Amino acid sequence: MLEMTMFFLFAFLSVAAGVAILLSTNIVRMAFWLITMLVAVAGLYFLMGAYFLGVIQILVYVGGVAVLLVFGVMLTSRRLAPTLRPGRGEAVWLTLVGAVLLVGLVLSTLQAHWQQQVAPAANSAADIGRSLLGDFLGPFELASVLLLVAMLGAAYLARPKTPTQGLPHTKGTTP
Amino acid sequence: MMMGVTPYLILSAILLVLGLVIVISKRNAIAMLIGVEFILNAATLNLVAFSRHGIGALSGQTAALFVIVLAAAEAVVALAIFLNFYHTIATVDIDQGDQLKG
Repeated sequence: MLEMTMFFLFAFLSVAAGVAILLSTNIVRMAFWLITMLVAVAGLYFLMGAYFLGVIQILVYVGGVAVLLVFGVMLTSRRLAPTLRPGRGEAVWLTLVGAVLLVGLVLSTLQAHWQQQVAPAANSAADIGRSLLGDFLGPFELASVLLLVAMLGAAYLARPKTPTQGLPHTKGTTP
Repeated sequence: MMMGVTPYLILSAILLVLGLVIVISKRNAIAMLIGVEFILNAATLNLVAFSRHGIGALSGQTAALFVIVLAAAEAVVALAIFLNFYHTIATVDIDQGDQLKG
């Protein structure tokens, strides 16, 4: 009963956050609602007994990705995109496409006969670590390479332009 | 009473559709990135729910960990690209980036 209540609380929070982002036109409020959704999903992880994953979700997503997004907003929102809201025709199409996809997904979920047993609670951080360095060793190493490449790529893409390129340009424009 | 895997799958479907609609409808590049985070979280929720209900044992949680890592890397690179976009076109309105349009 308690599990049910908590599930509906977190589910309502995450869905409400999504709807609020859809209706919102303010990018900073969207970032706030994103954080709400991420915390609610972390709560669902805790509810499912995936404690390590819940903590990682809060650490990496709320502490890293969401803060990064807010930084991105602040670096780029001096002149905001004029209209964040779609037109009326677009909204009708979006609702239609979304509703069809949602109904299809929910129907197929309800049709399937899922295994309804609860796994033994062998999901501590130590077990996940053994799984990472056992069955998932290849993906684990690939992920480390990916993180290195992403860091280098982001640093290269976001670097300030070289001063030798900018100097003659500024000299030419200023009288 | 124990809840089955179905409520989590339905919630995940709702989050996926919400994320997709956000990605399609928003014209701000960073708002699109928020929609992508929704989609990734829906996928992760599925993985953890299956892991909880005895399908694939702990593999689901480990795979969810990889999804979180990929999402972080994706957000970093995408934001760097958007910063470049902003420096080039002076806006993050993706409709303005149509120089390659034939």
